[in-house]
Amino acid sequence: MKIELLKSVLVATTALALFAGPALAQNAAAPAATAPAAAAPAADAAATPAPERTKNYVPVTADMLANPPKEEWLMFRGNYNNQGYSQLDLINKDTVGKLQLAWAWPMAEAGIQETAPLVHDGIMFLQTNNNIVEALDAKTGDLVWQYRPTLAELPSSWSYQINQARRQKNSIALYEDKIILTTVDARIVVLNAKDGKPVWEKQVLDTQKGYSYTVGPLIADGKIISAISGCSIAGTAGGCFIMAHDINTGEELWRFNTIDDPENPKQGESWGDVPPENRWGGTPWTTGAYDPATKTTFWGIGMPGPYSELIRGSGEGSVLYTNSTLALDVETGKLKWYYQHLPRDNWDLDSPFERILVDQEVDGKTQHLLITAAGKNGIVFALDRDTGKYLWHKDTVQQNVVTGVDADGTVQINTDLISKAVGEEHLVCASVSGGKLWMTGSYSPLTQAYYVPLTEACNTVAPTQVEFTAGNAVGAVKFGPRVLPEGITDAGLLDAVGINPTQGDHKWQYRSRPSMTSSVLATAGGLVFGGDAARNINAWDQETGEVVWSQRLNAPIGGYPSTYEIDGEQYLVVPTGYSNAASSISSAFPEIPLPTGSGNSIFVFKLPKSGS
Amino acid sequence: MLLKLLAPALLLLSTGAALAQTSGVPPEEFDNTRRQAGDSIQVCFDRTSLGRAFDEAVAKALGDALFLEVKVMEGFGGFPLTGDGFMDELNLAMNNDCDMFMGVSVSPNTPLSDSFSITRPYATIPFVLAVKNPDWQRLGDIPKDQRLGTAIASMGEMNYITWAQQRSKADRWVRLPYADPNLMATRVLDGTIAGMILWQPVLARLQQERPEAAALRVIANDPIPASETHVGALVSSRNGFLRSQIDQAIDALVADGTIDGLLKQFGYAGRAGE
Repeated sequence: MKIELLKSVLVATTALALFAGPALAQNAAAPAATAPAAAAPAADAAATPAPERTKNYVPVTADMLANPPKEEWLMFRGNYNNQGYSQLDLINKDTVGKLQLAWAWPMAEAGIQETAPLVHDGIMFLQTNNNIVEALDAKTGDLVWQYRPTLAELPSSWSYQINQARRQKNSIALYEDKIILTTVDARIVVLNAKDGKPVWEKQVLDTQKGYSYTVGPLIADGKIISAISGCSIAGTAGGCFIMAHDINTGEELWRFNTIDDPENPKQGESWGDVPPENRWGGTPWTTGAYDPATKTTFWGIGMPGPYSELIRGSGEGSVLYTNSTLALDVETGKLKWYYQHLPRDNWDLDSPFERILVDQEVDGKTQHLLITAAGKNGIVFALDRDTGKYLWHKDTVQQNVVTGVDADGTVQINTDLISKAVGEEHLVCASVSGGKLWMTGSYSPLTQAYYVPLTEACNTVAPTQVEFTAGNAVGAVKFGPRVLPEGITDAGLLDAVGINPTQGDHKWQYRSRPSMTSSVLATAGGLVFGGDAARNINAWDQETGEVVWSQRLNAPIGGYPSTYEIDGEQYLVVPTGYSNAASSISSAFPEIPLPTGSGNSIFVFKLPKSGS
Repeated sequence: MLLKLLAPALLLLSTGAALAQTSGVPPEEFDNTRRQAGDSIQVCFDRTSLGRAFDEAVAKALGDALFLEVKVMEGFGGFPLTGDGFMDELNLAMNNDCDMFMGVSVSPNTPLSDSFSITRPYATIPFVLAVKNPDWQRLGDIPKDQRLGTAIASMGEMNYITWAQQRSKADRWVRLPYADPNLMATRVLDGTIAGMILWQPVLARLQQERPEAAALRVIANDPIPASETHVGALVSSRNGFLRSQIDQAIDALVADGTIDGLLKQFGYAGRAGE
């Protein structure tokens, strides 16, 4: 025993000496990204003591979440309404040309750039992949603390989670003096915002079955509202959930199953002969919106699994609630209404994307709208968010799957594109990678327009058996390369869709050779910010679509550009890095080389001080 | 002949389309160093493979034939039925870790990529129809109002769908896809479904692990044609020499009865080679 103890002490001492010592000769200090977990004092631990910078951290209250201060960016899209709109206007059409770099910061690890930085009390909270969270001084970019969890190694049989761990999920959440994040191994982790140390964590669902969080939570009505992914893995058959947990204890308060709702017979019937234990899909993989006035949370739901009805056995059924908008009572989790944007999906044309809440005054009456480019086919829908009633729809990119929408809101699909035999191939537009993808649009109350980043693309789709490991089930649809639709030479499209309760109109369309690769931000300065595969962050005039500012950065623009104000100065945050929205269609713009390094970073711009 | 079918088929799968949520692999994740292999090869396996033990035995026999030490590395598994993320991780594994990846289905639908190529099959193993009802001797004996289960996305399922699509609804069985063979067997045993079409090694394993599965028996497939899976391996594209050596070794092990012996040892139906 003594010998063993001595060995341990020696090993520990040696390790300490190795890591504490200065770099000798050509030896460089270990970069933080590869620093050993032994530096962490606990299983999940911050690397630094509670910093002075956050000593007087101001808690985020429920009132703040309901009415965010315009100087801050408190949640995924800035506000419960998911508009992605900032009331700040110091950076505007007249001043944007003077923007200068204030600071930049490399992300903690490589990965897929989908981060949505949050800003509160002068601190930027930045999530990178593998569930790392960094707090940065939002004025200087200096690191305040870092949460770098010591995760159990993901076994190689959890390949989906390993794959998803490389994505910076879209957001974390702030509430009181806490930071709430959802993890690839299906946990909710709550950190102390002052020092990044864990307060509590909860294993929400069984990762062994395949469950995984891939999007961030929403804090509403004192609850953590989260949505799980991994719902197309064999072990998760029959259950894909939106859930509510108590923010203080982690106790589960309710869950809603998106593919099995015994309270709605129509939902079960829509799967034909297929019982719940043989159903997959229905993943809600974009953070939802919340209407505090009606205590309703709105979520978009993804595709069914398997993709092809020929394989899944559901016949001509619409397979609810896949590709739908769900309105849930935040207190009970009960369904208030649903609307299906794409019934009978056979092409992985997911419809989980941003649901945006818009109020418009018409004839002295406030209209409560929900607008969304719900799915990969890019069609913009407007619904009455109090009732779920269909109002109108508007095509954006070229698509051949939806042939029309009846007055009652029933979506009609092109049944010619449904394969009747294994191997029967069809050219489907938009493509499996969009059209629309995770990159969210913004709504500007100034112009009453919805600015949607899109890609023109098609691919062939054919149901087949891709039995890779002999006898094993993986993949039931074969997709061809992503190509431009015939006659179109520009992959990128920013579509400004004018919104009112009775119709949507194309206010303007900006087309570009490279694909759009970031979400967009609209501001009270009359601008829309967003970026592309050619590494350009652009500012468009909301009214005209004219590019009034552009800056080339180190990598495709990614994630969610946002803005905040400190000491009277407005800052613009631009994430950059590896983007499959760029690489999956880069052959459409071969003259624009993509970097081979991901270069995941954030760049922060501001205006020069007056007089300088 | 079979291999000739592969070439035109499926570079399509390696095009980087993002299914559902996946987003490709950042270039930094790919290891660009050359392995110092010496006299060993790194052989990978899908941890969730249904024929995992058999495939490892074949790999060791191949190693012995080539005087190479076989280093076993687990590959990956746990993918969605949709294949979301599958090609990303397969490309990564074949680039970074695996000289050879055992137990793949050699068919026109086998995923291909620049990172790897496929060997000739070392075994051919059938799909079978298993039922509990002792009165049924062939699929055609099962009343059409009964349901069947199929192993989702398998060659056996494709075979059934292709047959069924050529008949009216009244002249075919309702089919339910299952991803979990244990659950499918339970549903045959409790009478929810009349029978199940699955890969024979899976039935063999079920019957080893679950005593009540002894009540399941294989009956004839007719009127649907027989289906089978050719089992081979992927070889890193970095090493064309290894690929030819492995193919020659497979031929030798098929010819000298080694593969047949392993099939018998593991209780697998089927035959050595193609």
